[in-house]
Amino acid sequence: MKRNDIAFWIGAVVFLAAVLVMTQVVANQYPFFAGYVILQSIALAVAWSILGGYAGYVNFGTSAFYGVGVYASVFMVSAFGAPLPLQILTGAAVGALMGLALGLLTLRMQGIFFSIATIALTIVIETTITNWRYVGGAAGIQIQRPAVTSPFDSYVQMLFFVQAVLVVLAVAISRYIQNSWIGRGLQALRDDELAAECSGVPTLRLKLLACVISGALMCAIGAPAAMYLQYADPGSAFNLNYSVTTLAMSLIGGTAHWAGPIIGAILLGTTQQVLTVTISSEVNLLVLGLMLVLFVVGAPEGIVGLINKLRGHRKEGEI
Amino acid sequence: MSKKVSKPGSISRRRLLASAGAAIAASPLGANLLQAHAAPIKIGMSMPQTGGLAGGGKASLLGIEIWRDDVNAKGGLLGGRKVELVVYDDKSSASETPAIYSKLIDIDKVDLLFAPYATVPTAPIMPMVKQRGLLLIGNFSFQVNSKVGHDMWFNNAPWGPADSWATSYLDIGQKAGGKSMALLSADQEFAQNLAKTAREVATKRNLPIVFDQAYPPNTVEFSSIIRALKATKPDIVYVASYPPDSTGVLRAVNEIGIGDSVKVFGGGMVGLQFGAVMENMGSLLNGVVNYNTWLPEKSMYFEGTKEFFDKYTKRAVEAKIDPLGYYLAPFGYASGQLTEQAISAVGSLDQKALAKHLRENTHKTIVGPIAFSADGERKETAVLQAQFRGIVDKNIEQFRSAGKQVILFPDNLKSGELVAPFEAART
Repeated sequence: MKRNDIAFWIGAVVFLAAVLVMTQVVANQYPFFAGYVILQSIALAVAWSILGGYAGYVNFGTSAFYGVGVYASVFMVSAFGAPLPLQILTGAAVGALMGLALGLLTLRMQGIFFSIATIALTIVIETTITNWRYVGGAAGIQIQRPAVTSPFDSYVQMLFFVQAVLVVLAVAISRYIQNSWIGRGLQALRDDELAAECSGVPTLRLKLLACVISGALMCAIGAPAAMYLQYADPGSAFNLNYSVTTLAMSLIGGTAHWAGPIIGAILLGTTQQVLTVTISSEVNLLVLGLMLVLFVVGAPEGIVGLINKLRGHRKEGEI
Repeated sequence: MSKKVSKPGSISRRRLLASAGAAIAASPLGANLLQAHAAPIKIGMSMPQTGGLAGGGKASLLGIEIWRDDVNAKGGLLGGRKVELVVYDDKSSASETPAIYSKLIDIDKVDLLFAPYATVPTAPIMPMVKQRGLLLIGNFSFQVNSKVGHDMWFNNAPWGPADSWATSYLDIGQKAGGKSMALLSADQEFAQNLAKTAREVATKRNLPIVFDQAYPPNTVEFSSIIRALKATKPDIVYVASYPPDSTGVLRAVNEIGIGDSVKVFGGGMVGLQFGAVMENMGSLLNGVVNYNTWLPEKSMYFEGTKEFFDKYTKRAVEAKIDPLGYYLAPFGYASGQLTEQAISAVGSLDQKALAKHLRENTHKTIVGPIAFSADGERKETAVLQAQFRGIVDKNIEQFRSAGKQVILFPDNLKSGELVAPFEAART
């Protein structure tokens, strides 16, 4: 267990160091633009699976949290000219509060009813932002980036690194939860909420905690997007696509293990980026749809589930 | 004989080797020049081909493609270099365009950039092109450069100064005796921009706004809103709506009526320019005064306009897009013409020189002469305000003939007079 921890943290440090070196060595900007989107997908999928995977509460409100993160940044920049770290912290704080509110209001609902409530949340918040003129309202708002901080040459390189840090943070939290009493409690309530409650698992408290952590992370991940786009409009920030693709990434990767959403997001996120600049027409929607269908049919427990199954078979064969 | 041939052959082989060596030894500039002469001129852009803006994006792209084919048929640019388009789908979303334009600039190394159709996908790339000092030909976005202030931005849209849209519509309304205005707008980017300028112009003119309501984008039922609007007895009704709501508003007006006080109705209704919507609405359109960009009136034909629409009509059927294509397609072609004229005049692809030429000259296009002001928008507005007349139901072909949408503004393109009040013009 401890050796695992060390390996994980060494891996994380190596990953961040590689990202940092990449920002210093690679001059071409495109890998950072495309890479930022992929890293964002990974972070979102990992954050989503804390509630959606471990607890089994399918949250369609990813775009609500993401959009609130974007607009938290827009507000902080418009009102105070806040720097990027403060934007992200504000996003996380607002996200935690929103997660708590969502949890208190909806967690007594289960299954499909909870999912529908989270879609409603997206619509409610998007309508609110649409009518809030200070942050641009329906017309959207253009924001200016401040000067880039060294050692980075361009702002996008810096954002790429910041998003990589957020990925490590999200994965570390997700991994910690999985291996701690919180994760075991969440898994118990996913299998049978009533039985878990009877066995003394504080289900509502655990679900609330998962909601708060997941919400805070998703908002924090959305916050740098305002600076990435230098523009925000409700239609793009609250795009239902974020909810759908995040869900798809987690499902394709597998929700039972913290590595599942990472694998799913890398696979789907990269495919999406590649398709955008190759097929680049309606056909890419078809390809994504087919991929989803194939995975749902062929690997209902995701890639991680499939690997475990294959390993299991091999072991049985060996024995 | 064979000896003779073989001798010079061997010499030439040696010569060939020597010259190849010389070429390798020579500066890479020479090789680049040789390559550049044969290489096509690449124009890169993203275009909405899926999502909400796809209908417009496809029509616009077809316009640009027709220009490409025309210019290549004439032998290309800069002494025989063909034009090649590099196009990616931005899914109508702002979040896709930064990566796409970075790919176009850094990987595909395109020579020139066109913007995607509409404001939302364009807004995020403005700071990027400004920072890199690149020329960008805009495509129907609205006031996207006002905050960025890029001096190499040129919008193909006929918008002109931000307030000209509201000014022209209110001019028509006030000339018809309008003394108050009602404003109905969708809670979306374009509609809200229109509504904002309408409020400002009305306030400047001391025109009382008796009704001002924004409705959520997905509204389908407008009867209660139209009833409330009717109760305020306005003279001028300015509607800034999107395609699904435009039809909803007109249906509600048809059922409930709008009252005899209303002199003009319409102004900024998006959707009433698209063939499918117009065919669907039929006679409900009669009397509405609405903005447009191009119409088949006599005054709108310039050099090449007719030929363009002949080609468009044929290819639109194959591509299954708007069979009329008045709204966007000719402006896509005009974007190409702007570029073509600038490149021919400058004689190179130097972005600064091209921008200077575009800024300082008036350019002949199939949508009329285009001149730019300092902010890269048109110097003068060429947004038409036209009134639907004598429209019958379920007939798309009727919109190809003159007189169905009479141009009331601008004066130099005018093709008729306003029929008012609105209720009288509806029949």
